[in-house]
Amino acid sequence: MAHIHLEDGAFTPFWLIVWNLIALALIGIALMRLRKGKASPRKLAIASMCAAVGFAVFQIELPTPVGPAHMNFTPLIGILVGPSLGSVVVLVVNVFSAAIGHGGWGMIGPNSIVNIAEVVLAYYIFRLARIGLKRGYFWSGFSATSITLVISSLMVVLIVGMSEIQGSSITREQTINNMLVIAALNIATGLIEGVVTGYVAGFLGRVRPDLLEHLLPQEPHLHEVTPAGVT
Amino acid sequence: MSRRAYSSHVPDFRYITFFAETGKSVVHRMNPWTKLALLFFVVAYVTVLLDIYTMLFLLATSLTFYAVARLPLKVLLGWWSLPVLFVLSLSILYVFTEPGTSLGHLTLGRFTIGVTDQGLLLTAILLVKALAVVTFSLTVFMTTSYNNIVHIAYRALPGTLATVFLLTYRFMFETADEFSDILDAMHSRGGGLTKGIMGRSKTFAGIFGLGFVHAFERAENISKAMEARGFTGELPVTHQLRRPTYGGFALIAVALAVLVLAVISRYLDVDLIGW
Repeated sequence: MAHIHLEDGAFTPFWLIVWNLIALALIGIALMRLRKGKASPRKLAIASMCAAVGFAVFQIELPTPVGPAHMNFTPLIGILVGPSLGSVVVLVVNVFSAAIGHGGWGMIGPNSIVNIAEVVLAYYIFRLARIGLKRGYFWSGFSATSITLVISSLMVVLIVGMSEIQGSSITREQTINNMLVIAALNIATGLIEGVVTGYVAGFLGRVRPDLLEHLLPQEPHLHEVTPAGVT
Repeated sequence: MSRRAYSSHVPDFRYITFFAETGKSVVHRMNPWTKLALLFFVVAYVTVLLDIYTMLFLLATSLTFYAVARLPLKVLLGWWSLPVLFVLSLSILYVFTEPGTSLGHLTLGRFTIGVTDQGLLLTAILLVKALAVVTFSLTVFMTTSYNNIVHIAYRALPGTLATVFLLTYRFMFETADEFSDILDAMHSRGGGLTKGIMGRSKTFAGIFGLGFVHAFERAENISKAMEARGFTGELPVTHQLRRPTYGGFALIAVALAVLVLAVISRYLDVDLIGW
């Protein structure tokens, strides 16, 4: 997944406020949608567990020549819990990550924008591939994740390029050129995550198809499980 | 308390919570609202200020705060490696291209890359800023108990967000243990993460897929148990938290005054108090 690995103090106050206000608006929309749909306790528990898994995977660094990279299955979380709950999940993951220095507190906003784009895009691309194009779980998961992560990597370049590093006198164009090196790394990691997500989607499709049933048009919400013995 | 994390470089929330629940220092007794407000000001200072000496002073203050809380310094040094790694890996953005006096260069065929004094200074500033915030942030989390975090979350966040945040906090210990088990098992069988992720995506997918399935099953069981106990989507907050004391308010007022001075010195009068 794409994540802005900048710590606090890298962006100017102006850009920090701009990105955090945009993120706040997106989270506000997600929360309003959730309030309208009345999120059940089961949905909330599943979303929280997804956040916990996302946070756990997020901390496993993959060493690469240019710097650390990691997966956190943001697109998969989007596919599993949907765009609204997925937006809340990525915000929570970013808050816990900031608490331990994995990205700054001020970067919660910019990172949430990138991650919200990931959960929303992945959900709709997966749905399009699975229902519209009738692809299998692997190809749907792979295409949703890969396309999403390419776009989000470019969003990272755009956000850092527009904001620039404060205290630096290099030009915006130079910043963008330098950021493209990191974007290339993120895209390469994103393709690997795409393959892994494709397999995970296939695995879930075989073992727990009910987890992906909410993607079907006739069942817009997460499948409700009836307790054993209760009819 | 034994530590169990992926590595000594990644802060372990179980360890953090242990200190938060068992510590008896002055910082532990400090009002959580005051600590949270001070964390906000530390983040604001590093965003507004650019001078390295001021940042070094802020880092020293954060370290003092950490030491007064009687938290282990050796552990902190290990945890610092995460922000250090991020700052250094991203210094590629500017360290070679920042205008300034060249301190050395390397020529590879037709390409020459050089490090400048300004590039190094910028890296140092960002590094000190990152360490100051991380140290303060860890101190706040290592000295604030879960009950207090529950209260703050419900006061400061919308209901759904607060519920997901707090449930995640409760769930992350088990999921972290599960992934640590998987990684231990993989390492004990000679599987390297880099080698594995490139060559054995299918195996990894099975591991992560199983992790998700277990997580969903656990979430379903927990939600059934919670519903059986009358849970309707919002966790009840029984623990009450007092307002900051007069001393706490005074500390916040001083921090606010310093921030105002910092903003004035940056945007209005650059010569103010010599910054």
